[in-house]
Amino acid sequence: MRQQWLHGFLDLCLLCLLLERRDYGVGLTQRLAGSGFGDIPGGTLYPSLLRLEKQGLVRADWAASDVGPRRKYYELTGEGRDAAAERVAVWREFRDVMDRMASRAATAVEES
Amino acid sequence: MSGARWHESLARLLVERGVAPGEARRLAEDSRDEARAAGVDPAELFGPAAAYAAGMARAARPAPLAALTRTRGPVVLRLTKVVKRYRRREVLRGVDLTLRAGEVAAVVGANGSGKSTLLDICAGAAKATSGLVERAASIGYAPQQHGVAPYLTPEEHFRLFGAVHGMGSRRAVATGTHLAAGLGWRPRAGAVAARLSGGTQQKLNVVLGELNRPELILLDEPYQGFDQDSYLDLWTQVYAWRDAGAGVLVVTHLLHDLDRVDHVLELKGTEDR
Repeated sequence: MRQQWLHGFLDLCLLCLLLERRDYGVGLTQRLAGSGFGDIPGGTLYPSLLRLEKQGLVRADWAASDVGPRRKYYELTGEGRDAAAERVAVWREFRDVMDRMASRAATAVEES
Repeated sequence: MSGARWHESLARLLVERGVAPGEARRLAEDSRDEARAAGVDPAELFGPAAAYAAGMARAARPAPLAALTRTRGPVVLRLTKVVKRYRRREVLRGVDLTLRAGEVAAVVGANGSGKSTLLDICAGAAKATSGLVERAASIGYAPQQHGVAPYLTPEEHFRLFGAVHGMGSRRAVATGTHLAAGLGWRPRAGAVAARLSGGTQQKLNVVLGELNRPELILLDEPYQGFDQDSYLDLWTQVYAWRDAGAGVLVVTHLLHDLDRVDHVLELKGTEDR
């Protein structure tokens, strides 16, 4: 169930992470894992990034690094930043509704 | 599969799935560089090329136009309290479903929860122990196994299945060939089905299910992604049938985004008792 939920929220997660700072694919994978979401397979991550790119929310650029091979870096466009802020607000509202519902259910369980 | 071959097949698979050749090449190059930068095999980073191509193609293709209000037609399948029992094992316990023309229903559930049994019952290939099955007269049926006859060629399949639907042999072959072309497949004369690759057998199966423009399509999603064969993006096909006005019932073995599906029927499976 967690996996399916995450599937629905992955775009939002990526927008949030990229709002913090630009990053490359493997870096994003590590930060998602570090946030507690577990390992996101590349087969799921990269299509999401491509979709965000196609929607004009993310811009991707290849950049050479001082050490090692060139990497593709992703960053939010202006539109992407707006979308991230808007979706975070929607998420908060949604979370509050869900929280209230879960609390009522928990109370009902205690009372029964 | 070596890295270079993985990227080559990715480019090819993307084109087969409708991505423009230039962009497919660019995406394949990106994947190569990305895997190189990460210092791992592409298959390790991205998974099987076929599955990855499906995901990337979906993301890369232009967004479909805003969905028009779909028209839902008459009921093409109605299950009422359908029960299936094998000896003392109850495989299906009271399944209800109403599916209309222009709708998609997905059947999900663990292995052994009775998904394929339900499909067989809907097709009339197995009998329910109790309950009521009502359905449209013209159906297309693409089961997981036994869908194609190993020693017949695709053309012979078209004639045979066409005959079942009362189509003349020339029309059956023309229609079958046309439908196959829509799936990016041109049947070669003389090759029997047993000699076709897994993905091509699946395409044959899908063409046969579609031959008579059925009102109800019943299909079993193949287990895909384990080889590099060019499997269809089955779900694109499912929604195309739906938009053409068929009711579609899909048994699915993989986890999908089921947001676009009209009905999700979750089978629980049962224990022996």
